[in-house]
Amino acid sequence: MATSQYDTIFQQIEVLLQEHAQLQVPIQDDTDLINDLGFDSLKLMEMLEDVEDIFDITYPLNDLANLHTVKDFVLQIQQITGGE
Amino acid sequence: MGLLDKLVTIATTRETLLPEGIDPFNVVIEEIYSSTEGQIDGQRVILAGTNNYLGLTFHPSCIEAARKTLLEEGTGTTGSRMANGTFSGHSALEKELALFYGCQSAIVFSTGFVTNLGAISSLAGPGDVIVLDADSHASIYDACRMSGAEMIRFRHNNMVDLEKKLRRLGEKSTNALIIVEGIYSMLGDCAPLAEIAALKEKYGAWLMVDEAHSMGVLGKHGRGLAEAVGVEQDVDFTVGTFSKSLGAVGGYCVSTHPELDLLRYTCRSYVFTASPSPSTISSVREALRVVSSQPQLRTKLWENVEQLYRGLEQSGFELGPDPSPIVAIRLPTKEKALFAWKAILEKGIYVNLVFPPAAPAGLFLLRCSISAAHTPEQISYILKTFAELKPMMTAAT
Repeated sequence: MATSQYDTIFQQIEVLLQEHAQLQVPIQDDTDLINDLGFDSLKLMEMLEDVEDIFDITYPLNDLANLHTVKDFVLQIQQITGGE
Repeated sequence: MGLLDKLVTIATTRETLLPEGIDPFNVVIEEIYSSTEGQIDGQRVILAGTNNYLGLTFHPSCIEAARKTLLEEGTGTTGSRMANGTFSGHSALEKELALFYGCQSAIVFSTGFVTNLGAISSLAGPGDVIVLDADSHASIYDACRMSGAEMIRFRHNNMVDLEKKLRRLGEKSTNALIIVEGIYSMLGDCAPLAEIAALKEKYGAWLMVDEAHSMGVLGKHGRGLAEAVGVEQDVDFTVGTFSKSLGAVGGYCVSTHPELDLLRYTCRSYVFTASPSPSTISSVREALRVVSSQPQLRTKLWENVEQLYRGLEQSGFELGPDPSPIVAIRLPTKEKALFAWKAILEKGIYVNLVFPPAAPAGLFLLRCSISAAHTPEQISYILKTFAELKPMMTAAT
């Protein structure tokens, strides 16, 4: 179940990341948001607003300290939405 | 990777941005002639980007108060408020600030930045929640990080988003501190404070208002936005600075909660930094009296605001949403903004150049701040110069 939920979130995140990323590269678990996708603080905040809308969640800024890769991001959202 | 390697990116950006001439982010004011004129790069300029809203840096009674104390009490306290850095003037100023705001408690800090750093990080901690406006000042963001509290951002001045964030907190909202600013420092727009106060009440949260840019500017008595919109009783903590309308340096936090006084024992930025110099405190005390006793300064300030804002509007510039002493001109690109800033300076006008992330929403700004001390002639010259340069400032490259 958890894997399925992970995949669902991943697919939604993939679309968002492609929309907001400065650099267009294939989105994988270990893709780094800053180094690979070129996110700066401003772009990241814009993207987080979309994430909050789509998943109907509040993303605490404290979580940014542990956000590096796409996998980190998906797991964080999974946790916030009450998943495993 | 070496310690300094991360600075290479900044060096590269600086080289591309600043191919020649003066660095807009390291301007030296070589001579200061008055609260509205100085010398930069060898040239006499109108200062239209100094946050000196009431022009009190050269007010005779403020200078005289500072001079007298300088001679009587020396150049500095050489200690923190908790140790040897509280002179009678510091205590007197705290009583006067409390009286000015009609509050029980006031604490004076060394700068506005460390006021936020200390007050916020001491009031909120692990288990609490801070709900802050997205366009909050860097000192507020840094303080939130220091606090260890859960940090939630709502979209700038967006009450639907704020309510959504408060509602999702459930019972935790009673441990939530909402932080907003009276006037936001980059675009000069005001917080919708009456609505924020209503949401604070509805969800049982706490409210802090940073009146750094609105103290002395808004309200019948100059107490800021909360006074202007009649919600002072809903504000739990007010923070502000002495470095804008009061023309000096330092900061303060006032509150209706007597517990504020206990922050003197927990605020690291109060305990572990030197207190403001006695002469600074004396000038601030005098400036506070001027703010209270000379409402005509605010009237003059707002006349100047209207002249500048409406004039720039008529010239077709894209400005911040509301007329305020901060008038931000939006320019299409970084290069255009830099070009415009230099061209304006060459014509004898200093304004601030602001890029993201200091500017919100990816904007490139020429940020003007207007003073009650500006003359109509100075503002006319600013308007004429901007109008003449507009085609070059906004044309596509």
